[in-house]
Amino acid sequence: MEVSTLPISASHRGKLISSGYTSLSSLSSVSPSRLAQDLKISENEAVEILKVVSRRSGSEKIENGNHAIMNGAQTAWDMLHEEESSVCITTSCSDLDVILGGGIHCKEVTEIGGVPGIGKTQLGIQLAVNVQIPSGYGGLGGKAIYIDTEGSFMVERALQIAEACAQDMLEYDNLLRKDSQACRVIKQPKAFLENIFYFRVCTYTEQIAVINYLEKFISEQKDVKVVIVDSITFHFRQDFEDMALRTRLLGGMALKLMKLAKQFKLAVVLLNQVTTKYKEGSFQLTLALGDSWSHASTNRIILHWNGDERYAYLDKSPSLQSASAPYAVTGKGIRNAAPNCKRVKLM
Amino acid sequence: MIESQCRPQFNGLELLEDAQLNKRILSTGCERIDLLLQGGLRVGHVTELAGPSSSGKTQVCLKVASHVARKYSGTVMYFDSGNSFSPKRIVQFLTQESDPANTEVDEIVQRVMSSIVCYSIFDIFTLLDMLHQLMNNLKSEIGCNVRMLIIDSLSSLIAPVLGGGGAHGHALMVTAGFLLKELAHEHNLSIVVTNHMVAGEAGSSKPALGDSWKSIPHVRLLLHRYRATNDSCISILKHPYLQNCITVPRALNL
Repeated sequence: MEVSTLPISASHRGKLISSGYTSLSSLSSVSPSRLAQDLKISENEAVEILKVVSRRSGSEKIENGNHAIMNGAQTAWDMLHEEESSVCITTSCSDLDVILGGGIHCKEVTEIGGVPGIGKTQLGIQLAVNVQIPSGYGGLGGKAIYIDTEGSFMVERALQIAEACAQDMLEYDNLLRKDSQACRVIKQPKAFLENIFYFRVCTYTEQIAVINYLEKFISEQKDVKVVIVDSITFHFRQDFEDMALRTRLLGGMALKLMKLAKQFKLAVVLLNQVTTKYKEGSFQLTLALGDSWSHASTNRIILHWNGDERYAYLDKSPSLQSASAPYAVTGKGIRNAAPNCKRVKLM
Repeated sequence: MIESQCRPQFNGLELLEDAQLNKRILSTGCERIDLLLQGGLRVGHVTELAGPSSSGKTQVCLKVASHVARKYSGTVMYFDSGNSFSPKRIVQFLTQESDPANTEVDEIVQRVMSSIVCYSIFDIFTLLDMLHQLMNNLKSEIGCNVRMLIIDSLSSLIAPVLGGGGAHGHALMVTAGFLLKELAHEHNLSIVVTNHMVAGEAGSSKPALGDSWKSIPHVRLLLHRYRATNDSCISILKHPYLQNCITVPRALNL
């Protein structure tokens, strides 16, 4: 039945089939008012249905001047050039940037997972600040959306990191442009906070609602260059009896985030928790949410302890080799791991 | 009315001719895989690549895309649902393959890259739309140079609609499957789709999408990567004329 493949609501689909409209050709010559009468729906709804039908059956008639095989397709050659000109979001840790090929890429979904206390949220806040580095300093000059499901976003900490970032920019200025434009406007640390849009969600329904709303929000706000979800897991690890439903919801959410990333050329960063899995005779730590979810991201970074040092391991990437790099969480935010300097544990 | 729908019959000889003329075997560009599949991917077949996350499915897809576009100078359609199509990686494959002394590498790269067409798809309805559009275009002989269609990954498009109440998601999956088969057969395309793994009985894992999907692809291949050694291996789950379950290890960097 051809109508069952159309993107229309289930009730409309049912009405169409029970009224005998099962093929596209049966819908091609019917008028909206007739259809509305037959289906007992409003005329506007009938017009919507016919629009969908004509898009499906009439796609061949769309004449676009060029010889493109498909509308909206892009050749790899064009994509390569676009990719070369795009800017990455730095993590403020150069070792980490190296294994990521420059930083967190736009138009991709990056998943970051690790044990509690390893610095996932720190990295999230760092990215929310770093995305705002103006283009004159090799940044994107964008805005950030931070979706907090765990309540772990600390605004004082964000201010601290923003202050350190502003400080770094000032030093960079002094170093390179001593004489030129002495009174260049340096971003105030508080201005950084203004451009972080924070959503606090308390249930998984809210989480889905926020992600559905993002498309509208971003097209109004412009310039949003990173969406951080901290963490994607929290609400999905509890209160779920129907695991198949969970998989479906997560799969749908992943596709929506992918679409956002592509459409608005922004980076999506998902933070994930870890779980234990019984594999090959022993319990091993893996990222939560199961096998199907592991396909949802373009890149995956796993943060782990190695002795006393924090390490990041690039586990999945379509274009880069797996590699690991040390990093440190300092008062200023994420930085390179200092060699020969013992980490002082704060009590 | 129904009689007009009847298709003309073929005899065995004509089928053989068609097979020899149109249903060629496309080399994948990876010797080990070609060896396993006795030549490569057959035109007219739907091939499924299944495997756990980061087992190399996308890498095989990118490799095949670059090799087919280069060797057979046809168009390769790439439907991407995970933003994982990496033009950089294709350039890497192309420069690896070519002779470093050859000065025309840049031209080859440009030609090949221009003939790989990528399209981002994020829901099953768009996929069906695109497949219909492709079919219509091929019928009216726009872009008759298309050799291959790659969908990476099909399962992530289908998973959100499959299961739950009602059989609608199921119907969509089967429709997509039949469309792919029709496209492959009628228009001499080789189609590659990827599928992920889900947990099966007793802690083992199996390809997703369930039993009714099993019958749709002609060839099903399973990829696996050993973490410790970084070796990957590929094995046949289903093939119309090759023996099952032969495993060939291959180096990860293809």
